[in-house]
Amino acid sequence: MNLLEVKGLTKSYKGNLAVDRVSFALEERTATALIGPNGSGKTTTLSMIAGLLKESGGSIQRDFKSGVGFLPQYPQFFPWLSALEFTEMAAQISGVDGKKARQQSIRTLEFVGLGSAVNKKTGTFSGGMRQRLGLAQAIVHQPKLLLLDEPVSALDPTGRREIMDLLKSLQQDTTILYSTHILNDAEKMTDQLLFLKEGKLVEQGSLSEVKSRYAEPRIRLRFETEQAAARFEDRKLWPMNRDRNVIALPLSGEGPTMQQVLAVLANEESGIAGVDRQSASLEEIFLKVAGNK
Amino acid sequence: MEESKLLLLLLPVFIIQLGLMIFALVDLIKIPYTNGPKWMWGVIIVVVNIIGPILYFVIGRRNY
Amino acid sequence: MNQFGVLLKKEWRENLRNYKIFWIPAVFILLGIMEPVSNYFLPQILDSVGNLPEGTVLEFPVPEPEQVMAAIMGQYQLLGLLILVLAYMGTIAGERKSGTATLLYARPLSFSAYFISKWVMAQIIALLSVWLGFLVGYYYTYLLFGSIDIMNLLRFVFTYSLWVLLVISIVLAASAWMPNAGLAAAASLGIIIISQVVDSLLGTYWPISPLKLSVYAASWFENGPDMADFWWSAGLAVVLIAFLLLLGIFISSRKAASTKV
Repeated sequence: MNLLEVKGLTKSYKGNLAVDRVSFALEERTATALIGPNGSGKTTTLSMIAGLLKESGGSIQRDFKSGVGFLPQYPQFFPWLSALEFTEMAAQISGVDGKKARQQSIRTLEFVGLGSAVNKKTGTFSGGMRQRLGLAQAIVHQPKLLLLDEPVSALDPTGRREIMDLLKSLQQDTTILYSTHILNDAEKMTDQLLFLKEGKLVEQGSLSEVKSRYAEPRIRLRFETEQAAARFEDRKLWPMNRDRNVIALPLSGEGPTMQQVLAVLANEESGIAGVDRQSASLEEIFLKVAGNK
Repeated sequence: MEESKLLLLLLPVFIIQLGLMIFALVDLIKIPYTNGPKWMWGVIIVVVNIIGPILYFVIGRRNY
Repeated sequence: MNQFGVLLKKEWRENLRNYKIFWIPAVFILLGIMEPVSNYFLPQILDSVGNLPEGTVLEFPVPEPEQVMAAIMGQYQLLGLLILVLAYMGTIAGERKSGTATLLYARPLSFSAYFISKWVMAQIIALLSVWLGFLVGYYYTYLLFGSIDIMNLLRFVFTYSLWVLLVISIVLAASAWMPNAGLAAAASLGIIIISQVVDSLLGTYWPISPLKLSVYAASWFENGPDMADFWWSAGLAVVLIAFLLLLGIFISSRKAASTKV
């Protein structure tokens, strides 16, 4: 079931299209990664869905009433409020009752790893703590939809891992739409990829769909000698290309399966130095899509 | 005689002035950033009577 | 708790923790003390400075206590209002500019609750400051110059309070309108000063004007204002305040999109 449906979403600033007829849907309890180069409209798209910006065209249909949780890229807090006071206020504005708001705030702050800093003023928080508090205020009212703008890009690798793990554990009962430029993260947690470029949605689908569309997976065989590689090529078992002692075998189309290749290799007499399966990383795809004019 | 009366009348002014100065200094120590260097505001708060702490609260303090 | 209560609590914490609840009343109290004291000691101060040629006889008429209270109000009209404008110029513009507003606006926020909570807290502190200032100022005036009819004093204070309510409403509406605190202060000071200048130059033609409230406040100490003029002016001030409230709510919701994300 779709939790959110975006149709022809458009935002123009003085004639410039920041977001240009973007359409997609979010299924319930899925994670969707919004990727694309800087200035491709990720933040604008998220802001419109969060209700911070009014769309110039198109529609955003929500299939739920309870609130949205939003984490901006650089969350700013009132420095004179403590983490607990802020989170509690956030929950209350989103309609959580007083007593429950406090309990949920404490639980959420503990969940994001700020359990020992609940009574500290947010003005004293470090970058990592701010990001955690930002996440806490986004989830404290238990929203059905979570919008995160670069949730981990300000963090060091350890913090990034921790937050990504937290997000994954949230996925069980939350729908997540997040933007990121760290493609490793996108690869780790995504049911759907949305690729924005110059405001347009240029690529869309599950991670494996996108990957198969862009770079065919291939097997790379490295022989000990160039002659051995040439002999293997001459057998013309499948379509392949050779570069000195390395042979690349596409796995898609008319290519073989991994098993077939391995079966042949098991009976191969000439020395094989290495076999590996290569598939295009998201980064390669990113560069390919971003570079396409 | 008149002078001691003046001092007595101005006693609350001195107390308020001292209070303002203490509030401003405590705040200056706690706050992470000010508009302009912190030490400068420290000097202004202590040296400039009455106006100093008020200037700090109005101009020097970053409220947001 | 409803949103208004939650937001008012936030405003209260803000004004408490940035010490506005202390220093703004302190400024008004200081102004209230300095005026009667300096008036009382002025002849002696000039005497002790003593650069006057021998034989100069200075005649200082001792001011009436009512005149001293009006002089305190004169200080508030200059310095007091300036302080209030500067203290509250960033109320909304600053939150938007710094991005702290983003996390509020991304929620199902009632902009009436948002704006009115700020308006109420700023008014409480402004009125508290003015009243404490007049109270302490009157205590000194009473000690040094004598007493004033209490009813006239109350009329004076309440008339002036209405003017303060109007000024704060202008500041908050400007803060909702302008992109940053500095421009909000410039806009409010511009509106207040220009309209007062216009009113004092040409105002003889229209006795009904909220800008004359300070004049009417002081006139309670003499024969009192023309009652019809006074009530019409006060009524107009109330209408203006209500209008500015609605305007502020409207603009702050319209301009929500300009917050930094």
